[in-house]
Amino acid sequence: MSAQQKWVGQALERTEDRRLITRGGHFIDDLTLPGVAHAAYVRSPHARAKIRHIDVRRALGHPGVYAAITGDDVAQLTRPQRGRVPLPNSPKVYALAYQEVRYVGEPVVGIAAVDRATAEDAADLIEVEYDPLPAVIDPEAALKPDAPLVFEEVGSNILWHDTFPYGDVGGAFKEADTVVNERVTIHRYCSTPLETFGVMAQYEAATQSYTIWGHTQQPAQDMHVLAAALGISPGKIRMIVPPMGGSFGNKVRPLFIIAAALLARKAGRPVKWIEDRRESLLALGHAADGIMEMSAAVKADGTVLAIKFRNIENEGAGIDFAARHNLLMLSNIANCYRMRAISYEGYSVVTNRCPVVANRGIGKPFMCFAVERMIDAVARALKIDRAEIRFRNFIQPDQFPYDTPSGQTYDSGDYPEMLRRALAAIDYEKLRREQAEGRERGRLLGIGIATAVEPGGSNLSYGMLVSGPSQLLSGQGEAARVRLETDGSATVFTGGLDSGQGHATALAQIVADELALDVKQIRVATTFDSASHPYVMTSGVYSNKFHGHDTVAAIGAARKVRDKLLKRAAAQLEAHVDDLELRDGHIAVRGAPDKGVSVAQIASRAYWSLADEQPDGEPGLEALYYYSNPLAKHPDEKKRVRVQLGFASAAHVAVVDIDPETFEIKVLRYVVIHDCGRQINPGIVEGQVHGAAAHGIAAALLEEFIYDENGQLLTTSFMDYLKPTAADLPNIEGDRLETPSPLTLLGTKGVGEGGAVVAPAAIASAVEDALAPLGIHIAALPIVPSRLWEVAAAGLKRYENARK
Amino acid sequence: MTEMLSITLKVNGSEQAAAVEPRRSLVDFLRHDLGLVGTHVGCEHGVCGACTVMLNGRTVRSCLLFAAQADGAEVLTIEGIGTDEALHPLQLAFQQHHALQCGFCTPGMILAALELLRDNPDPTEEEIRVGLSGNLCMCTGYVNIVRAVRAAARNGKAK
Repeated sequence: MSAQQKWVGQALERTEDRRLITRGGHFIDDLTLPGVAHAAYVRSPHARAKIRHIDVRRALGHPGVYAAITGDDVAQLTRPQRGRVPLPNSPKVYALAYQEVRYVGEPVVGIAAVDRATAEDAADLIEVEYDPLPAVIDPEAALKPDAPLVFEEVGSNILWHDTFPYGDVGGAFKEADTVVNERVTIHRYCSTPLETFGVMAQYEAATQSYTIWGHTQQPAQDMHVLAAALGISPGKIRMIVPPMGGSFGNKVRPLFIIAAALLARKAGRPVKWIEDRRESLLALGHAADGIMEMSAAVKADGTVLAIKFRNIENEGAGIDFAARHNLLMLSNIANCYRMRAISYEGYSVVTNRCPVVANRGIGKPFMCFAVERMIDAVARALKIDRAEIRFRNFIQPDQFPYDTPSGQTYDSGDYPEMLRRALAAIDYEKLRREQAEGRERGRLLGIGIATAVEPGGSNLSYGMLVSGPSQLLSGQGEAARVRLETDGSATVFTGGLDSGQGHATALAQIVADELALDVKQIRVATTFDSASHPYVMTSGVYSNKFHGHDTVAAIGAARKVRDKLLKRAAAQLEAHVDDLELRDGHIAVRGAPDKGVSVAQIASRAYWSLADEQPDGEPGLEALYYYSNPLAKHPDEKKRVRVQLGFASAAHVAVVDIDPETFEIKVLRYVVIHDCGRQINPGIVEGQVHGAAAHGIAAALLEEFIYDENGQLLTTSFMDYLKPTAADLPNIEGDRLETPSPLTLLGTKGVGEGGAVVAPAAIASAVEDALAPLGIHIAALPIVPSRLWEVAAAGLKRYENARK
Repeated sequence: MTEMLSITLKVNGSEQAAAVEPRRSLVDFLRHDLGLVGTHVGCEHGVCGACTVMLNGRTVRSCLLFAAQADGAEVLTIEGIGTDEALHPLQLAFQQHHALQCGFCTPGMILAALELLRDNPDPTEEEIRVGLSGNLCMCTGYVNIVRAVRAAARNGKAK
């Protein structure tokens, strides 16, 4: 019996929306408990300082204040945190600053009071004496031998450094006609979910157990981080993760969960903490800034034989995400191109900036930017058109599945067709003519192209490249439970989470097909609760993993339930299972139209009539399925590892118009042709494509965390840290190409991160193209008028002189 | 303890009388004192628009107003613009056009769109983009929000 295909593929309205458009009510700040206290933090005003003394007495004497905790308390009550990729030389890091502060905004004292305003009043009464120390802000400065040490116990500012030679790089450079060198940089930015981080913790003294309502994207891992910190059984923690108002990789700071748990224990009442926007921009976490040096071995016809990369990743003052940007870059290091040899050298460097976290694509936006800038540089060096250079280097459609030098298996794609369609959509030839005509009049019109793989689903074994084969965490998978209710409807529980992706709708479509039910009969329990939702340590919402993991887990559980259902129906109808037809909530016997039973009838008996004979050996109609992706293996002896497991792709074409006097950049058109394989819900997919592209465009043109030389963050409000409004962004046009993945059950590939990976490269390409008459090269993000003006002033003078 | 101020106001058509701290913001009053949690807090400095409500018929940032300033006023929040039986055309359009993802900006965005269409019932795409530029959405890139507002305008019922 095969499943019907009725709901998958339809652009259904989302089941999540009704609540969100009418009254909300499920976000963390909407939840409360009797007697709940509210927390506030005293944060470091220094980028680096010794903590000499903390006096909380006045604060504790303030009316309405219940408790305060300091770094000394935390060091006494908890074990140090480990990074998500455990480092062999990890420094000791606690939830609150212990003895030393290492970035502006680092939490130093936590306080719980009757309400937030009182907690903030009390925080003002806490006296902290610091001995300020010299700070190091720039990652290259941090590498110098006399640099201040962020973590003295490590002995250097390098948390991790390694080299990855893949293929015959030396041979490729000997064979090359030309070598092209590039140095590019990426800045600090963050996709800044509109809902800030939040947590509410409750401690039950009688059982010494904790209930946490809070934000995380990896609920099982963060639950275990908390258990390890407190030195208690994970069974003593109930972790509840309500739907989040966006997350984008950022809500992965378990230190705030640990601190809330300690405050709740000390205050003797539940404690809630909702981060404010300034705190969020200052200290929730940023995408890493980085410096990439590259060298490409190129044939005269534009064929790229090999690229050498050297990347310095600025981790800030944290270990949570140490080396992760670096390692994930191995997934898209070859991008869409056939190069057979690659070498990569990565540094994870600590500085006195905010610790880094994941941010939509983590590492891959920079790697895509670097490779695409290099491809444009090769085109420029060899005077080949930017589209043509890509056609010459693309992996061809008949080469899939394709293994890249770093060990990725690209499942499917048609990169030439993808780019052809994007060029057709924008009318490339006509635009080039317009551009040439415009240049005669001094108009700066630019066309940018970026083509890219969009990896989905990470294989957490990649951490073994840092921590070695003894690392416990490996692979990728998800867990799901499906329960058929007594009325014949079904409820789905997974270890995945909701932060706006519409997963509940998509899962309902999938499970409805598996159980031959109406999609309205499927409910997905979107508030994760470790007491009811199954999980594995890779569970959560991150790395575009939904497409090939959450989906498969739900299908696995649904099929188990269907098998149980049919066994029961076969017994009741006295028929063979193979002769049964399941359709629209009804089970019929093939060739005997008068014989049949409803799913509701079978389900009802399964729970009510326990004295019945149980064909399946047990009552009930519920099943659990744990899925592990067989592609996700350990690294091999050549350091090759499938860092990611599915490879969607996209071509972005941007058209920009730059004001020759102010250098204001206007994005006139933006086209995305993307291929995420088979689409479960095209309406949701389209929204993900728009949103991700918008993140990338804004990261390229607007957003930047700016530190001064002392490590003070200057951009701590939305007045300084510029987010795009509807008036700032272009309409995002485009279409889909659909090459189903042969490696996932539904043919799906990831889609959520992709646009954010590709857009900075497309924008840079367009701006550089527009400014070509001025000879301006774009090697740094973000691209803002003031900086363009600085580099352009000289070039513009030359250009105008030439035109006279 | 701080002196409390007595206020009376009409929220979504219903009379409310309350005693508030002078420093209680309007959004905290709506959310925590009245339980109207559909209005969200995104930045608390008047940029993001998540807390947008109508005060006497004009959109305001409820994070930048004190509850006491709304004394005697009429306030409209997302909870008051439609009913479960009869959604407002803008609510329907947002749902039909996938104009929301996480939904955190949505109540403020719908209130802003409500004012926009009241003042300009048939806006161009450009006018919609400018009209909604006081509200940040971090998820959608605004494409489907613009589509939804245009669709609601075309229906001509979204006043």
